[in-house]
Amino acid sequence: MGEIDLLHGYLILGALLFGIGLVGFLARRNMIVMFLAAEMMLQGISVSLVAWGRFHNDWGGQMMVIFILTVAACEAAIALALILMLFHSSGRLDVAAWQHLRESNQQPFVDQELPEAQVDEQTWPELAPAGIEPEHSLDELVHRGHV
Amino acid sequence: MFEGDKIHLLMVLIPALPLASTLIVAALGKFVLRERSHLPVIAAMAGSFVLSLLLLYEVHHRTLAAEAGANATTESAATETAPAGGASAITVARHGVEEVYTLWTWAAIDREYARGPENVDSTAAPTDVAGQEFNFIVDVTLRADPLTAIMLCVVTFVSTLVMIYAVGYMHDDPSYWRFFTYMSLFVFSMTMLVSASNFVMLYVFWEAVGVSSYLLVGFWFEKPSAVAAGKKAFLVNRVGDFGLAIAIFLIWVTYGTLNFHDTPAADNVPAVAGILGQLRLSTPELYVGGAVGLAICLCLLTGACGKSAQFPLHVWLPDAMEGPTPVSALMHAATMVTAGVYMIARCTPLFMASPQAQEAVAVVGGFTALFAALIAITQTDLKRVLAYSTISQLGYMFLGLGVGTVAGISAGMFHLFTHAFFKALLFLAAGSVMHAMGGVIDMRRIGGLRHLMPKTCWTFWFGALALSGVFPFAGFWSKDAIIASAGERGDAGSMLYTVLFWASLFTAFLTALYTFRGLFLTFYGRQRIAPEAGHHAHESPSVMTLPLAILAFCALLAGAVFDWHGMFAKFLGHTPSLAYSLVEATAPHGEHSHLGLAVLSTFVALSGVGLAAYLYLGDRKAVEGLTTWLSSPFGLKLYQLSYGKFFIDEIYQWTIVRPLLLLGNVFSWLDRTLVDGLVNVAGGLPPRVGALLRPLQMGLVPFYALVMMLGTLVLIGALFMWPTG
Repeated sequence: MGEIDLLHGYLILGALLFGIGLVGFLARRNMIVMFLAAEMMLQGISVSLVAWGRFHNDWGGQMMVIFILTVAACEAAIALALILMLFHSSGRLDVAAWQHLRESNQQPFVDQELPEAQVDEQTWPELAPAGIEPEHSLDELVHRGHV
Repeated sequence: MFEGDKIHLLMVLIPALPLASTLIVAALGKFVLRERSHLPVIAAMAGSFVLSLLLLYEVHHRTLAAEAGANATTESAATETAPAGGASAITVARHGVEEVYTLWTWAAIDREYARGPENVDSTAAPTDVAGQEFNFIVDVTLRADPLTAIMLCVVTFVSTLVMIYAVGYMHDDPSYWRFFTYMSLFVFSMTMLVSASNFVMLYVFWEAVGVSSYLLVGFWFEKPSAVAAGKKAFLVNRVGDFGLAIAIFLIWVTYGTLNFHDTPAADNVPAVAGILGQLRLSTPELYVGGAVGLAICLCLLTGACGKSAQFPLHVWLPDAMEGPTPVSALMHAATMVTAGVYMIARCTPLFMASPQAQEAVAVVGGFTALFAALIAITQTDLKRVLAYSTISQLGYMFLGLGVGTVAGISAGMFHLFTHAFFKALLFLAAGSVMHAMGGVIDMRRIGGLRHLMPKTCWTFWFGALALSGVFPFAGFWSKDAIIASAGERGDAGSMLYTVLFWASLFTAFLTALYTFRGLFLTFYGRQRIAPEAGHHAHESPSVMTLPLAILAFCALLAGAVFDWHGMFAKFLGHTPSLAYSLVEATAPHGEHSHLGLAVLSTFVALSGVGLAAYLYLGDRKAVEGLTTWLSSPFGLKLYQLSYGKFFIDEIYQWTIVRPLLLLGNVFSWLDRTLVDGLVNVAGGLPPRVGALLRPLQMGLVPFYALVMMLGTLVLIGALFMWPTG
């Protein structure tokens, strides 16, 4: 396995980490999860930096990563403290609870209440009276009842 | 007694002291000096007056030396040494005594930039400097000569007394310090105006005097009438100042310099002959006459008319009564209205070169004197009577200057000198009455105050006698001299001056009539005290009556003492502008006494006094004929014409003010609709665009994150797509 293949592997890993982090950051509204996703993006970048450093035989990448780690540590402390304060004041971790920086005449974004999931009357397949109802697994009953 | 440096020090200190007191009171008056604000100002004024006296003494000393020198040496020798004397060397020159001291250069523009007189008329400039382009250099230059020395003494003397008087008059004013700051600035401007030795400095301080008068007339700015009067004074003066500015431009184009004095030759720089300098005075043909000269002189006259309140620009002076009375006294006697007379006297050589302009000066003066006197006889406001009498007396001064002879010019200046004393006296006495009557000065509402205010009454008597020209009071000597000089020109065959002579004699009669009308109505008859007076109705404090007494003394003696053997005229004749061949040629041959005229004018004045006494002191029944005549339609019209000041204000209102207001309204409408509309469109655009973008700022963090990511993607995409190289 040559150097270039090694690099490719790590870069792919870094890109995957970054991409997962990005999707997490965009898709989730829990502030702690968003924070974790952001950390994950950082780590993805760090991995590619180290890989490039290894590839070019240069300490620059590693050095940068040390800095990133340091900054990430500080950032984590501050971010967690902020999240804690926000949680204390609103009792929620939902980032959408904090919309106060919008323009004054804009309507706030309100979650549309999802309609109560209609739990249909469980309809079981008609079976021949001759048959005996099979044993249902508990898991199927709890999570996928409506399927 | 003095070396050159000492006279220079005097010349600098005389204006510097009022300037220093202005700055001190302006800086400390409000919080530190407060009701002691007058102290630095009075100290500075008195100091300036003492220094002015020293300067006068020194200049006089030199005129004596010059006379001795002129007798001892032949004229040709003196002429040769004159140009070599230089600007700041001690000059005992052929043409009068002058001392010039340059402090610093204010502006120096090379001839490449200052396209001066390219087409200099070769007759306009001395042969050694003809045809060359001059550098435009404006120096801060002070001068001392007899004219300046006399003006400085008058200004500082009257100012000192007025300031002392103002301590009593203004004692409970909340803006005490502001008053003294402005007054001090006023005096500083005037001392610089008469000390300036080039037209630019003259113009600068001409304006500074206007600004100070604006500030002082509008001193009580809570009163709308005071604000309006200040604005009117300033705007009417603008018209005159415009004329002066044009005159200065014309002088620069014609003569290539704005200095009064000669600039001696230096390295690479040839000598420049000043407008009123020795070089030019020794060859009077160098003064430009004809159309250009006439234009210069008429523009100068316009400027002087504005500042000295001559017809048709006299309308601001009576309204300027809205200021505190000490301001009126200062303005009428010393610091403001005399500026025009001074400037015309200073520019005598220019006026000698165009006789029509000189006649214009005389006509303006003579007409204004008569015109203002006709208005003054019916005014009911004592201060307004005095204001019109000032205009009238200034008309006399202009008439004297317009006569254009040694006798006429020196008589005009002498009238300025004596008038300063008795007009300051009359105004301060009127102010004393006003102070006692709680601000009421309307003669229909007050009267018979002679027992209440004996000191004010007898000082007013002195002023009134001097103003009427009764022997031996000051006004007699100067007014008589002006009338006599006009009469002489008339005798010499000029019809115009004969008319002016009779007009001025009639004006003298009117002067006595209106002055004593004011005196009798205010101080005699049944005692009437305005209800506004309150507890104030008593004689003014001695800080106010002492200056009155001093001025009364001067009003009695100034004429007789200074006219002794023509001393004033002889001294004034040493001013360079007056000490050259054209003027000297007009000197009367041999001693000439005007005994007959003196008797005549005294008789005229006394008959005016007598008529006033007959009309206003005597039995009402005795004058019934007159009152019935005045009630007839024709008499009533005449009366209204005079009482309405010949409706000059109304004429200006309808011919100038209203059309301008209309024009202003049109432009205002255009501005509000067109210009403001454009601006509003420009101002309205950003909010509209902003409103379009505003929904983006929804405050939802995940949305921001998404937009940020998309933006980054766009940037990265652009980076790849961008054509490199």
